Amino acid sequence: MRQIGWNWLGVLPFFAFALLFLVLPTMNIVIGAFQNPQGEFTLANLAGLASPRIVSSFAISIKISLASALLGCLIGFAMAAAVVMGGVPGWIKGPLMTFSGVASNFAGVPLAFAFIATLGRVGLVTMLLRQWFGINIYAMGFNLLSFWGLTLTYLFFQIPLMILIITPALEGLKREWREAAEVLGASTFQYWRMVALPILFPSLLGTFALLFANSFGAVATAYALTGSSLSIVPIMLFAQIRGDVLQDPHLGYAMAFGMIVVTGLANLAYVVMRARAERWMQ
Amino acid sequence: MTFLTLDHLQKSFGPTRVVHDFDLGVEKGEFVSFLGPSGCGKTTVLRMVAGFETPTAGRVVIDGRDVTRLRPNQRQIGMVFQSYALFPNLTVAENVGFGLRTAGVPRAERAGRVAEMLALIGLPDLGGRYPWQLSGGQQQRVALARALAPRPRVLLLDEPLSALDAKIRVSLRNQIREIQQQLAITTIFVTHDQEEALSISDRIVVMHKGIADQTGTPAQIYNQPATDFVAGFVGTLNRFEAEVLDPARGLVRVEGAEIALDRPLPAGRITLAARPESLRIAAEGIPAEITGVEFLGSVQRLRARAAGREVVLDRFNEPGVALPQPGAQVRLAAAQAGWLVLPG
Amino acid sequence: MRRVWSWAALIVGGLYFLLPLIGTIEFSLRMRRGEYSLDAYRSVLSDPNFRATFSYSVAMAALTILLGVLIVVPTAYWVRLRLPRLRPVIEFITLLPLVIPAIVVVFGYIRLYNTSSILPLTGTASGTNLLLLCGYATLALPYMYRAVDTGLSTLDVRSLTEAAQSLGAGWARIIVRLILPNVLGAVMSGAFLSFAIVIGEFTMAALLNRPAFGPYMQLLGANRAYEPAALAVIAFAVTWGCMGVMQLISRLFGTRMQAK
Ligand SMILES: Nc1ncnc2c1ncn2[C@@H]1O[C@H](COP(=O)(O)OP(=O)(O)OP(=O)(O)O)[C@@H](O)[C@H]1O
Ligand SMILES: [Mg+2]
Repeated sequence: MRQIGWNWLGVLPFFAFALLFLVLPTMNIVIGAFQNPQGEFTLANLAGLASPRIVSSFAISIKISLASALLGCLIGFAMAAAVVMGGVPGWIKGPLMTFSGVASNFAGVPLAFAFIATLGRVGLVTMLLRQWFGINIYAMGFNLLSFWGLTLTYLFFQIPLMILIITPALEGLKREWREAAEVLGASTFQYWRMVALPILFPSLLGTFALLFANSFGAVATAYALTGSSLSIVPIMLFAQIRGDVLQDPHLGYAMAFGMIVVTGLANLAYVVMRARAERWMQ
Repeated sequence: MTFLTLDHLQKSFGPTRVVHDFDLGVEKGEFVSFLGPSGCGKTTVLRMVAGFETPTAGRVVIDGRDVTRLRPNQRQIGMVFQSYALFPNLTVAENVGFGLRTAGVPRAERAGRVAEMLALIGLPDLGGRYPWQLSGGQQQRVALARALAPRPRVLLLDEPLSALDAKIRVSLRNQIREIQQQLAITTIFVTHDQEEALSISDRIVVMHKGIADQTGTPAQIYNQPATDFVAGFVGTLNRFEAEVLDPARGLVRVEGAEIALDRPLPAGRITLAARPESLRIAAEGIPAEITGVEFLGSVQRLRARAAGREVVLDRFNEPGVALPQPGAQVRLAAAQAGWLVLPG
Repeated sequence: MRRVWSWAALIVGGLYFLLPLIGTIEFSLRMRRGEYSLDAYRSVLSDPNFRATFSYSVAMAALTILLGVLIVVPTAYWVRLRLPRLRPVIEFITLLPLVIPAIVVVFGYIRLYNTSSILPLTGTASGTNLLLLCGYATLALPYMYRAVDTGLSTLDVRSLTEAAQSLGAGWARIIVRLILPNVLGAVMSGAFLSFAIVIGEFTMAALLNRPAFGPYMQLLGANRAYEPAALAVIAFAVTWGCMGVMQLISRLFGTRMQAK
């Protein structure tokens, strides 16, 4: 009994820290979302989320996060597969992984600057397209401060993150599985559908959930890129915390709660699907 | 015309030639083993038959049809890997049914065939398990069932037993042989374990540095090794330097003992050899000193020094007969047929 | 055929990653009309605010790493040694910061530690600094914990500890003298990753009103044209430096571990 007490003491600092600076603050927001200014229980805040402005901000945020996570997964997968099994020279892998390590952490304000300098109105690519090919992407309706602009920017850290996570998983596919499938008459497509993808499924799903949460909670890039002109959820919440633009602090809590629910659901979906996919794992 | 013909196969990886001019015909229903030391090219030949490697030169012909250019999934071959290579995401039944699924066999028919195969390998109740829930021996049997389910024309096994422990190895190799005979399926079995090859094969190909040194029945390989390498690689061999006294009558002298071989010999010096079980202690013969005695149950293994070399001889245990003691001076002899004359 | 597709994927991906970098560098050199110059860099580097905020963030990053090590190393060690059943729980908690957006966490701080609460950290500058530090430590937690736990997995923690105890070493001594040196490589890779995350962090610093590098960059971006590009190049170089050092370290320590 005393032994157990002592053992727990060893992890006390960790739990105290997690409680004070992670769990309690989050709980506080969640509780705040269900309280009125007098501290009484209410569902009015959540009902307030149904205002068109907030609904549309969630809709566009979810759209951007889905698109950047999906594209990030697809493109990252293609690049990782090219390096692992695509028959390109082996030396490419090292630099690609190093670069992915860097780029996956190159988020936030400087990333926005980089894309403004590249695809902004006077950015390099914008200018070159106009001068060399006569294509004016802005006249064609492109705008960096838009759904596609933001998605394109987020991909800069989403793709490398996918590469970093999926490359080891791809390398874990044994050559014998492929050969066994082939000798049993499977085409390349059948091998992927029946063997490789199901084996990779948990990793793919987990990465997708991570990428989704990653872009759903991203504030800095969007803020530096668009100011407050694009009403995605984190930007609106940012403005709310700074200046109570919703004129109702508790509506802010409800919004933050909504964010937790969305990322939480994404990860819950992952956990459930993973559990189902993992019957065959130890 | 043989059922499976390997016609002057060659394979090079870059500048290094791994398989030289490999020629072999396998009859329908025959069980042929490839035996040889590590790195001699056994796997490479097998992979050329399966279609995973393209021969640098030569042809692979199955049932009269040249399949050299066909992809592995068009060759109707069954293959069993050393590492089992079961698909971890599929159950045992789904693994066994995989080849039927890719061939588009309807579900009901598939289930019947899977049950039949699981019964064949003696695991009728494990269809619902995942590979990680099986022992190594069970996994390899499932791999065998998976390879056999689509009724392949040729079965290839690449060291299927070397990841298993000794006891299961023996029982599983006998099971493989039984199933092979029952289905009469043409089989190539790769191993570097000579006992394995000798015990279950119709014929053995002893490979050495990318060449088939000798092809023959187990008895031929063991009793009449065609090359020095085969003689040394398969079984234990005692060698003696001999001086030929009379080439025509086959009379030689080893350490002062004259031995009549009764077969024509080249003049000069030759190397004589005898298996441990061919040698016996006799009144006349090559002088030797016993250096060690091992009692192995049914067999006694005696070590001796003769003509400056270590010699081993085996004899059956006889309860009434005392073992010679180390240090004893004896003479060694063998029956005429027990003497091998090694080439070179 | 497969090779063609592979090259296509790599080239398209490569272009996507290279163009913004080239674009940014090119843009950062365009400040002087009609010719390329380093004016933007000169302007940034000579800005006293740049130096102040950058050194503030560097200091915060260093403290974050220290705090992270203090929290993570003993915990990961203890869990492996004595409470293996607790591992899933700890792992779950360390992954939470990847799920709960930082903006929500800092929102909670503002509500929980405001001037009218029991623990009015936001009331003073040093209190707010402390709060920001703890926020950064939670951001770094997933990376730090993973790195250290992976490092520990290569050691036989139990035998090492028992050997040290039989020689009469106390807990503090075991952790500082025995465990820490053995997971130093892992700690360092976690540290540089944390550094890369903290140095340009924007959300927490901005909402807690601290004079950090992230908000400074944002402010500059809103008011200037070419300096932001120069800043982006600098930030990319810093990130690259952190990752490069991290890889170097893990390679060095990796070979040393194998040599043993
Ligand atoms: N893809 C390859 N590229 C280059 N060399 C290869 C390749 N595959 C095999 N080799 C070489 O070919 C030789 C024969 O290899 P192989 O795998 O056929 O030997 P093996 O007889 O099966 O040996 P083991 O008993 O160890 O399995 C070896 O020297 C090996 O190094
Ligand atoms: Mg082999």
